[in-house]
Amino acid sequence: MSHTQLRAHPLGDTAVTITFGADRSAELLRQVHSAAHSLKAANILHVEDIVPAYLALTVFYDPLGTSYEEISRKLLDACDRAMHSPPKAAPSREHRIPVRYDGVDLEAVAISTGLSVEEVVARHSGRIYTVDLLGFVPGFAYLSELDTALQLPRRAQPRPRVAAGSVAIAAAQTAVYPLDTPGGWHIIGRTQTVMFDPTRDPPALLAPGNTVRFERVE
Amino acid sequence: MITITRAPPYLAVQDWGRQHSRSLGVPRGGAMDLFALRTVNAVVGNSLDASALEWALGGGAVRFDRDCLFAVGGATARATASGRDVAPFTTSFARAGDELIVEQIITGRFLYLACDGGIDVPALLGSRSTYLPGRFGGYEGRMLKSGDSVPLGAQSTRHPALGFHAAADLMPRYDSGIVHVTPGTQEDLFDESAIRTLTESEYRISSASDRSGYKLEGPPLANSLGTLPSEAGCPGAIQVPGDGLPIALMADAPTIGGYPKIAVVSEADLPILAQRRPGASIRFQLITIDQSQRALRRRLSDIHAISQHASRS
Repeated sequence: MSHTQLRAHPLGDTAVTITFGADRSAELLRQVHSAAHSLKAANILHVEDIVPAYLALTVFYDPLGTSYEEISRKLLDACDRAMHSPPKAAPSREHRIPVRYDGVDLEAVAISTGLSVEEVVARHSGRIYTVDLLGFVPGFAYLSELDTALQLPRRAQPRPRVAAGSVAIAAAQTAVYPLDTPGGWHIIGRTQTVMFDPTRDPPALLAPGNTVRFERVE
Repeated sequence: MITITRAPPYLAVQDWGRQHSRSLGVPRGGAMDLFALRTVNAVVGNSLDASALEWALGGGAVRFDRDCLFAVGGATARATASGRDVAPFTTSFARAGDELIVEQIITGRFLYLACDGGIDVPALLGSRSTYLPGRFGGYEGRMLKSGDSVPLGAQSTRHPALGFHAAADLMPRYDSGIVHVTPGTQEDLFDESAIRTLTESEYRISSASDRSGYKLEGPPLANSLGTLPSEAGCPGAIQVPGDGLPIALMADAPTIGGYPKIAVVSEADLPILAQRRPGASIRFQLITIDQSQRALRRRLSDIHAISQHASRS
């Protein structure tokens, strides 16, 4: 079988990363998620966890049951088949997340972008975002695509602690911090919505492909 | 039950971590030194991945509230139970009311205490391990403090003989300071000199090191790659941020990240790295994935052998 664009590389003794392409795009991300769904459905022996990302997906496996050589061959074949079959995706859900726009960086974002605070809020809350990925910390969802006028690089100095519920932006993305963590994004607001609860099923509020609209509350 | 009579600065319930929730952003977590966790479990007759107490940063004391087989191991420590010395990775017995006192940790970082039956806290996402940043898992999602009592699970029918100990030649070479690595997922994007620098230099564990990662001090690695689109990492992955100083990801590391990964520490040697303290030095040696996986299988079969011997003893 030909794996023209697919490339496998070991990530240590217990994982293999399969790269789908070199350039980030919505289409490539869709292919990665679709392949991740197919792999999950295929229930491949010794596979323990599947982690989709922008250019690649990583499969964690039990190295007592199989070798890198064997599992990477199986996974490349399965990914190749997935790319040549109709795309698979979880049913999409729409979420509305109420936000109080009073973040510590809101004014600085307005100054940096040359917009008024009112305009920053209007542009952030006036769009529908798509969940690209979950990662970093439990329940942290990378949401695209931020209004181009709001796109700023990350803060030069990350904060040692960003409070859970902080709504933040960086580059072309926005996110809600699900727990207190260090963070380098610009904080523009906060929400009471619980993004992650390990006792809930599913534990994470958002899943890849879901859409999110932020609603301004006072 | 086991009661914390004098809590060390860090004490938390850990097992082998969450193996199936990375796509939700949940790190593997669990014990920093999986070899030590599994071996203390083996010598008390527990299943290898049962939950135990992970202990660091200083001495302390706990009281057993029922008769209990127990074992300590990992970091070396001066420990006594009812006045008698407690040897590492050795099946020991305590009567209800006996106190285990760890005077101090002598070498290494993480000491494990297993009791027969394991620590009986609720499993969340398939694990009893404590994830401190998310305040969940383990005992109420937090470190244990003086006065806490944690329940123990039911004792198994396997009763290893007292004094059984894991053979010294089956231990990782904790004091060697040599850590094997395999090529990282972005290894081909680095200059060849960067790999040479990594494997021919000595690196020191920085004071900026915790359960999520160990920053390494030494010659910087030329890295013109900047940040790449995020992809999965794993404990042991060595990532190189813009300043060129490598960071070894550890148990609580974020599930995905954008720094290029030059190498990944062999699973069999990860305990050696985990047990190095700030200021201690290490050297990396490059091996193939095949060599690395064979070393891991050997290590795991050694632990299974310890477990079987313990149960037959």
